[in-house]
Amino acid sequence: MSAMKGERMSSPTDSSTDTGAGPDAGTTAGVDPAETAAATDAATGQPADASENAERDRAAVASTGAEPVATESLRASAATWRAFRKEPLGLLALAVMAVLVFVAVAAPLLAPYPGSYGDTVLEGPTGAHWFGTDSLGRDVFGEVIWGTQQSLLVAVLASLIAIAVGTLVAVVGAYFRKLDGPISVLVDLMLSLPVLPLMILIAALVGPSTTTIILVVAAFSWPEVTRIVRSQALTVVGLPYVDAARLMTTSPAWIITKHIIPAVTPVIVVSVVVTASRAVLSAAGLAFLGLGDPNTWSWGRILYEAQQSGAMSSAWWLTLFPSLAILALVLSATLLSIAYNDARNPKSRRR
Amino acid sequence: MKKTTRIAAVAALAASALALSACAPSAPPEAGGGEATASSETLTIATTTDVVNYNPLIGNSRSDYWITNLMYPHLLSIADDGSKEAQVATKWGYVDETTGYYEIRDDLSWSDGEKLTAEDVAWTMNAVKQDQPSGTFYGQLANFESAEAVSDTRVEIQLTQPDSSIVEEIGFWGNVVPQHVFEKADSVANFPNDGSDGGWVSAGPYVLTDVQVGQSYSMDRVDDYPLIEGGTPSSAKVVYRVFPDINTEILALQSGEVDVIANALPPAQVKTLQNTPGIEVEESVGLGYAHMTYNMTKPDLAKVEVRQALAHAVDYDAIRKVVLQDQAVSTGSSPLMPVLADYYDKSIKEYKFDTDLSRELMEKAGYTADGSGMFPVSFRLIYSLQDSVTSQWATLVKDSAAKAGITIELQGTERNTYLAQTNAGDFDIYAGNFAIMDDPVTNMTLAYLPDGAINYSYVDDPELNELITTASATTDKDEKIKLMQEAAAIVNENVYDNIMYTQNLYFAHSDKWTGFVSKPSELLSIVNPISVASAHLK
Repeated sequence: MSAMKGERMSSPTDSSTDTGAGPDAGTTAGVDPAETAAATDAATGQPADASENAERDRAAVASTGAEPVATESLRASAATWRAFRKEPLGLLALAVMAVLVFVAVAAPLLAPYPGSYGDTVLEGPTGAHWFGTDSLGRDVFGEVIWGTQQSLLVAVLASLIAIAVGTLVAVVGAYFRKLDGPISVLVDLMLSLPVLPLMILIAALVGPSTTTIILVVAAFSWPEVTRIVRSQALTVVGLPYVDAARLMTTSPAWIITKHIIPAVTPVIVVSVVVTASRAVLSAAGLAFLGLGDPNTWSWGRILYEAQQSGAMSSAWWLTLFPSLAILALVLSATLLSIAYNDARNPKSRRR
Repeated sequence: MKKTTRIAAVAALAASALALSACAPSAPPEAGGGEATASSETLTIATTTDVVNYNPLIGNSRSDYWITNLMYPHLLSIADDGSKEAQVATKWGYVDETTGYYEIRDDLSWSDGEKLTAEDVAWTMNAVKQDQPSGTFYGQLANFESAEAVSDTRVEIQLTQPDSSIVEEIGFWGNVVPQHVFEKADSVANFPNDGSDGGWVSAGPYVLTDVQVGQSYSMDRVDDYPLIEGGTPSSAKVVYRVFPDINTEILALQSGEVDVIANALPPAQVKTLQNTPGIEVEESVGLGYAHMTYNMTKPDLAKVEVRQALAHAVDYDAIRKVVLQDQAVSTGSSPLMPVLADYYDKSIKEYKFDTDLSRELMEKAGYTADGSGMFPVSFRLIYSLQDSVTSQWATLVKDSAAKAGITIELQGTERNTYLAQTNAGDFDIYAGNFAIMDDPVTNMTLAYLPDGAINYSYVDDPELNELITTASATTDKDEKIKLMQEAAAIVNENVYDNIMYTQNLYFAHSDKWTGFVSKPSELLSIVNPISVASAHLK
């Protein structure tokens, strides 16, 4: 996506001005938000096309105003929301996500916690058991409902940890150029590791629990976040308003928190969603391999137990419903991030 | 580019999610005719693991056992009640207290033409004693000193001390290997026997000829196999095919891709497959048990009341009814299972599921429950994730213990981790099972004597030790039974072991095949040499 957008974005600039002028525009990796487009134009000082004037002006304000960030982001988010409302897939994804969150929070109201065992084993969907029963006669509907809680918990916590670590490493690397080299090497190294076997190894050695799953997934997700955020932060650090900020303070922490992180926030928002959906997949994968938390219901555990009990060939309901739940969450998260990104980027907004 | 990747990933995910639930069996092909005599048919058997070790003297996986068992015969076989039957040996017993003997058949040959003689038998035993390969065979040789072929058909073994079980136990657990092949190795403990030196040599019904690791193991008929009627195995070829898990095995059987599933069926699948056209299910009597042991080196579990409290906090009926689908028999919480009819003692009763009694026992042991009714103890229960039945009932044990105010923390791990934890005593409660516990004296020696290999409760009770050692040297069967029943009562009272049930196993095969001979346990089941050699198309 990045390469495609990068090209699309830089082409009007390239056609009207010197190619070397835009800071990192063409090489920006990851997701490109509105700021990149605006910043590119502002930095080159060249008018791109009429539709971009507003953005350029906004960026000009951003680089000269005293505390422009809040105003800018307010106006930008309003524009983003206006654009987002025109994305039917995005709205649908948002609705699905909202339903999942509701299910997770309201689990105790929706279904009783699955007991130790039930009377009828491997019974297909009926009025009493909407999603059928498993090989110990437990209600699959209840398992899926309560599994939502654990799956979302893993998704949220693992992605928050990954985002926090990933962003911190990225902006520190981008701001302190001396650290950028080692950090880039570390990130490349982490990204080249065979993630699944390592996750299996660690989860197997440490022992299965929800905490283990969250930490393991987070540990292998932050480098991707760093990679995306770093490229964006590098662009921002080179902008005049950051130079201006340096005149106002000697505290890098202040500049990073007040100017750089807000500028990369849209990328982070997109990363959160993508990382969260990956976390759900990883957690389900680990649980399916028997490395999930045996004390908590998760979608992966339902699949794992179906496989273990040899019921996969005869009891389709055991695999269909948790698979659909995983599909719903990951698909809606992915569509949501695409829609948000499109809405955020004035170049690709629907008009 | 990234967008494409992401969409591809989403598509792949959707596909895999649907694939997981879209496994539909296809109808088996039409049945063909066949004779009970030698045919040109191939019998295809499904397994879930590769062969790790082709040397039958080394402890090994299921597939290792099934395949090497078709090549390296045992002196004795086992009946459904645990008693021993003739195989290579026709007669066996004791010359005096410290000398045992086997008379063996004179009509057996190795597939390369060499005769199988008493020399092979004696050499195998001596080599195992000397080289100590890790495995059950060596484990049975504690009181064994040496073996000697006194004639071509008679082997005599010298014992270091009187042992009334050893002749039968060595005869059943030990294979016979060809001396002229195995003696080339420095040690039988690390001889791979992988066929790299001109292939395999067999005295069973089949000989391994072709190995495709991860896929299949092909075996050809050995024409002269006098242990079955007619003297020639029925199928020309036996092929073991490797599948990822029991689900794919069931699908392969339903589609006619394989004729037999060697692995025992999960309890919940038995009824389904019994009602599936084209599939027959054979029962194999259980001769082992599933149990939990409480690690008595832990201060809490050293108290008998705590162990009793735990034992009364298990809903045994629910476990047998739901998890095992009524395919298991209660052992009466005794190591002398009902299947060992001579030894079984009806007066020893199963621990009653009574959480109130558990609470009383915990209070008696000096614990006080907190406001939420939980006692200040937590026990870590280990089990193998590869053992699906135990994994399922472990959850039931945890839930019912919670009702008695006792916290149990489940720790299911991959099999090798579990075995390492077991051997290191790294657990509070151990859950597992044994496939064949055929001889009470041998079992109790291993399970309850202080240095026993499977003494997972770390029990050392002088009274119990005395009973077991005395029984071991007793040749009078009635006396031996009496001593064992006394020992079992001590184990039961003190909860040195919590033996829960004997599971009867079920094995599925295509209804086009018949003539299988079912033997106890998953090791022998319907893939024991006699059964495989006798199976034929209807």
